[in-house]
Amino acid sequence: MPADLTMKVLVVDDMATMRRIVKNVLKQLGFSRVEEAENGAEALQKLRAETYGLVVSDWNMPVMTGIDMLRAIRADEKLKSIPVLMVTAEAQQGNLIEAIQAGVSNYIVKPFTAETMQEKLAKIFK
Amino acid sequence: METDVERRLGTLYGEIGALARFVENAMKTVSEVGRPLVKSGAELPTVTSHLADLSKMTEEGTLEVMRLTELIQDTRVRLVRECRAIAEASREIGGKTLADRIENVIADLNQDERHLTEIMTALSFQDLVAQRVKKLVVILEDVHEKLMKLVVAFGIQQHRDGRAADGKTEELLRQLEQSRSGGIKQHTADEILARFGFQ
Repeated sequence: MPADLTMKVLVVDDMATMRRIVKNVLKQLGFSRVEEAENGAEALQKLRAETYGLVVSDWNMPVMTGIDMLRAIRADEKLKSIPVLMVTAEAQQGNLIEAIQAGVSNYIVKPFTAETMQEKLAKIFK
Repeated sequence: METDVERRLGTLYGEIGALARFVENAMKTVSEVGRPLVKSGAELPTVTSHLADLSKMTEEGTLEVMRLTELIQDTRVRLVRECRAIAEASREIGGKTLADRIENVIADLNQDERHLTEIMTALSFQDLVAQRVKKLVVILEDVHEKLMKLVVAFGIQQHRDGRAADGKTEELLRQLEQSRSGGIKQHTADEILARFGFQ
């Protein structure tokens, strides 16, 4: 886990229920500053406006998908070092190679547990 | 005396006639099979609407469970804080047994915290359900569109013999009429249908 739990985390998902679940789990893990975006485009706007230490993103979203957002982050000189954790449905596992090639920091398959989230974050921030 | 050409023409006409009867029978079959399809097809938008409602209802239910779970989590945080203070005060006045018992209460509360978090993460089923519903809606819309094209292409219509027409079927047929592009394929199909007595 990161030493600085006060870092800002951005949760990106078009489903309100999933944003709330991820926020709740992050809160349980000690993160106190968690913000939300409904799609990749909105997330990029927020990332360019403020400093975030982590992005937790869904894959399938309208306007801009998670993978397109990931590519945009990695192509942006100021944003490219931000860790991006993808949360994807089981049916999309085949797309994970694409995500790895795009520079994903780690991924979680839905439905997930708090322990899985903790484990993945520990790997990202080790 | 019949010439060779006339004999061949006779055979050809015979074959064309047989072919025409086959096509006519095929069209009639398609038309008969198609009528119930038209009626069923008219229900597809309703099915899509039911699926959308299903998605909405599961979302609302999930959000309510989340709201209540978060309330319990918040209360639990306050309880743990209070228990810690009581345990600390008990130790200061020499009540070690009482302090230990309160620590046990805190341990139980922490166990419940894990359960509450598990309830929250288990609710991600709603997202998975919504994704499946979305895919079903896309498939249904595709089937609906293809069915409409089929109906237009084969001119499948309901009998207008005085029976009460199904309102949805009528609506579907109205949509079909509107969806006609006037392309060669439809024009050709209409011509063939007219030749075989389809109105």
